[in-house]
Amino acid sequence: MAFPPTMVHDSPPASKVTLFRAKTTVSETRHEPGSDPAYWSQQMALLGRERDTASFMRIYDHFAPKLHRYLLSVGEGNAQAEELVQEAMLRVWRHCQAFDARQASLSTWIFQIVRNLRVDRIRRRAQASVAPIDPALLHTELSQEPEAYVDNALLAQAIDRLAPTEARLVRMSYLESKSHHEISQELEMPLGTVKSTLRRSFQKLSAALRGSA
Amino acid sequence: MRPRHHPDDSTLLGYSAAALPEAFAAVTAAHLAVCGRCRDQLRAADEIGGRLLEQLDGTALAPSSRDAILSRLRDVRVETAPIPQEPRPVDHDLLPPALRPYFGERWSALRWKFIAPGVRTIEASGLAGGKLTLLKTAPGKRIPKHTHGANELTMILTGAYDDALGHFSAGDVADLDSDIEHEPVTSGGAPCICVAATDAPLVFSSWLARKFQRFFGL
Repeated sequence: MAFPPTMVHDSPPASKVTLFRAKTTVSETRHEPGSDPAYWSQQMALLGRERDTASFMRIYDHFAPKLHRYLLSVGEGNAQAEELVQEAMLRVWRHCQAFDARQASLSTWIFQIVRNLRVDRIRRRAQASVAPIDPALLHTELSQEPEAYVDNALLAQAIDRLAPTEARLVRMSYLESKSHHEISQELEMPLGTVKSTLRRSFQKLSAALRGSA
Repeated sequence: MRPRHHPDDSTLLGYSAAALPEAFAAVTAAHLAVCGRCRDQLRAADEIGGRLLEQLDGTALAPSSRDAILSRLRDVRVETAPIPQEPRPVDHDLLPPALRPYFGERWSALRWKFIAPGVRTIEASGLAGGKLTLLKTAPGKRIPKHTHGANELTMILTGAYDDALGHFSAGDVADLDSDIEHEPVTSGGAPCICVAATDAPLVFSSWLARKFQRFFGL
């Protein structure tokens, strides 16, 4: 990852990562498929067609620890983070037939599920009555034909090419759930600069998604 | 409804990251429900989130969680693809779904509070971040000239207004930061209702408006 060292202070040392990986992959998933979106789409297709528990557990073994890391990183407590991981993964199982590989990679779909869960919970904490989040909202009425396949490699390169400040602000938004105001205070950066930096980063990254980077 | 004014890309990115104060997330969700352009933008922002998630090294869960999820799978049915439904007749008395948790279901049940001649408001309570207000202004009325302590995100729900930034009608969003001073004037023959998220009080330019503000807690 090309983020500045200050951003990855919470990463465990490399040796620990290796140890922990050995622990989490005790199952039959020895053929580590990495982040190849086509592989995960195939697993989802199997899951949707045949309710294949082995496919589901391959998805679980790959994504659940990442979700766990993400939820701890955005400030969820230990127990809450574990419970949200299970809840999100159960939604993957329950809604597997709604997954459409032409519209999003599996990691994006899972990201959307966990984001909606978190937004929903914040709302529920504050309110007595909650309008259900429409799960169809994200997957319907696209104004453009979806691209045949989102090119993850181009996006990954574009993330690596962000300027250090841009990368830092993008990470603070996504991986620490910091509001523009919080970023502005923490980095002593004018609010307008926070917004324009995030806007510019987003435009660079979405240009890569459209394949024009 | 095809909105012409949209939230800033940095706002959509914040929504994708679940990093907006709750009031701003509510207004953004209300706009996303009516704007295909912004749903496309959100999808792109979610791809970034998905990619960052994929790049994370994992943190191991409790050893029992694998067995726990396997046993819970047995109790959860896989939902089959939804059958497309006949469009239901539009009920004009219903608030946008994203705003119902804060203000209730029906326009007709709202209890507006008088704050100045031709201007009424309702403030939502219990939000985790920011302030969320419904604002109704009579035709031809203006909100006195003001800037914003920090951010303001406003969406027009019915009617329209004009200010230096243009003409805003139902579905449009004004995404304003502290530098912008504006004085919206309700246009057309109908009242204008909008929902505004703010994270700091408005700053009115005139002495009289400031006095109103102190008095009515706007």
